[in-house]
Amino acid sequence: MAKTVSALGIKAPNASILADNVVKHLDDPAETVVFLLSPGAEEGMEAVAGKHGYTLEITSAENHTEARMTPTGSTMEEIDVSGDFCPGPVITVGTILATLPVGERLKVTSTSADSIADIAAAVESSGSKVVKQGADGEKHYLIAEKAEKQESSQAVVARDRVLIAQSNGIGNAERAYATFLFAKAAQSMGKEVTVFLLMDGVSMARQGNAAVVKHPAFDRLDHLMDEVIRGGATVYACEMSAKFRGIGQADLVDGVRLAGAATYIQLLSDPANAVVNF
Amino acid sequence: MSYETTATELIELLGLKGSPVAVKLAKTADDVPAGYAKVEKSRHCQFVQDARLKGAAGYATADEHQCKGGAGVMGIGPLPEHLANGSTYHKLGNFKTAEGALETVAAMPKSTEKFYASVYAPLETAAFEPDVVVIVATPRQALRLTQASLHAHGGRVSSDYSGIQSICADAVVAVIQRGVPNMTLGCNGSRKNSGIAEDEVILGIPPAHLDGIVEALKIFKEKWG
Repeated sequence: MAKTVSALGIKAPNASILADNVVKHLDDPAETVVFLLSPGAEEGMEAVAGKHGYTLEITSAENHTEARMTPTGSTMEEIDVSGDFCPGPVITVGTILATLPVGERLKVTSTSADSIADIAAAVESSGSKVVKQGADGEKHYLIAEKAEKQESSQAVVARDRVLIAQSNGIGNAERAYATFLFAKAAQSMGKEVTVFLLMDGVSMARQGNAAVVKHPAFDRLDHLMDEVIRGGATVYACEMSAKFRGIGQADLVDGVRLAGAATYIQLLSDPANAVVNF
Repeated sequence: MSYETTATELIELLGLKGSPVAVKLAKTADDVPAGYAKVEKSRHCQFVQDARLKGAAGYATADEHQCKGGAGVMGIGPLPEHLANGSTYHKLGNFKTAEGALETVAAMPKSTEKFYASVYAPLETAAFEPDVVVIVATPRQALRLTQASLHAHGGRVSSDYSGIQSICADAVVAVIQRGVPNMTLGCNGSRKNSGIAEDEVILGIPPAHLDGIVEALKIFKEKWG
């Protein structure tokens, strides 16, 4: 757990006097403390960190400086995602970050630079920060720091929802998998996910159909669908497409609802939705 | 937890005029203590003064907060744009330049969380665990409180304020966020509208520090009279 204390506008040496008092009165001495400082006010922070047995890390942001004091010897959670298939690493990292308190850090390593780059994009898209990224011998790594997702201003539409439209069904297993793998990746990045199954796409939602589809590297399709639904995704099956195929609500797997064209159009028209078609 | 004894001792040892004031920021309506009613519309600094001098207890949602700046920094409703960008303070003459005004409001302590209401009561009768205790004191009383807060661990005190948004940002938000006391000299609003006197200053103190402060004040009393 990290405590963030804003000391913006307070000049040296008062900022370090404040920091000394804050660290002295922490409820949990094992807690990491991050001081947000005006540039130049970090003078004296090293002495404060040393006095209390903390390791100091100073980083500069756009309008402020961060002095991060971590109890010396404390370790950061680490995960190695070498060998995992896309989007597995993104999902793994997103799931771990979701459980971390704000300010906590996670080190991710992989033999694949591409995988680390993909994770970096996902971390930043979810509102958290990549504080360090590089290579160490054969391994590539990044250090992610959990942050609160900032609310956008009223003038900007936050595209924090993903609509995945699927019209291929189990006849195209690759597209069927992509639908729910992308949905899981989006969920792990903190996005709200809606899946709209239309045309042959509705066949995926008929009870028993997805259970016969298995990618060699991933769990069975019906299991994947179930995970996505339990993860909070809304899954609709197009009513008209379902009727064409003799599918009613009772034939659908749990968690999938029939919906009409208006719902689909409304979802497509919502500027907060990023739309992906499979 | 009851602070009746602590409050009584603080009042007696310091010779305070009125009560220390327990302030809590309630996340939801359910978080407001049972039996507490909404206060009449006014300002945060006035709610503190009413609890301090009249023994008033109650809570204020965004609707009851007439000073939207005070409510805004405490996370009870949005901070109005003209305050957030400093333009009001620039126009009022607090700052020579718009940049100076902006720098000041940007550095002002502001709650990063949203709250439903602020709750007030004299500390001795508070039926809730306060987030901060606000004490309006004379400079001599503030000196004793400062000495008492350093008594256990030593060091120095760093108080910071900017002459605007004092009892809300400096004495409540800063103290909750940092977990250490802060002293402020008030602002035009608190002095003019809420009757903070010429010879009074304001301190925000984390409740967890009160026992140590009282203990130190007793020692000072014994040694210094």
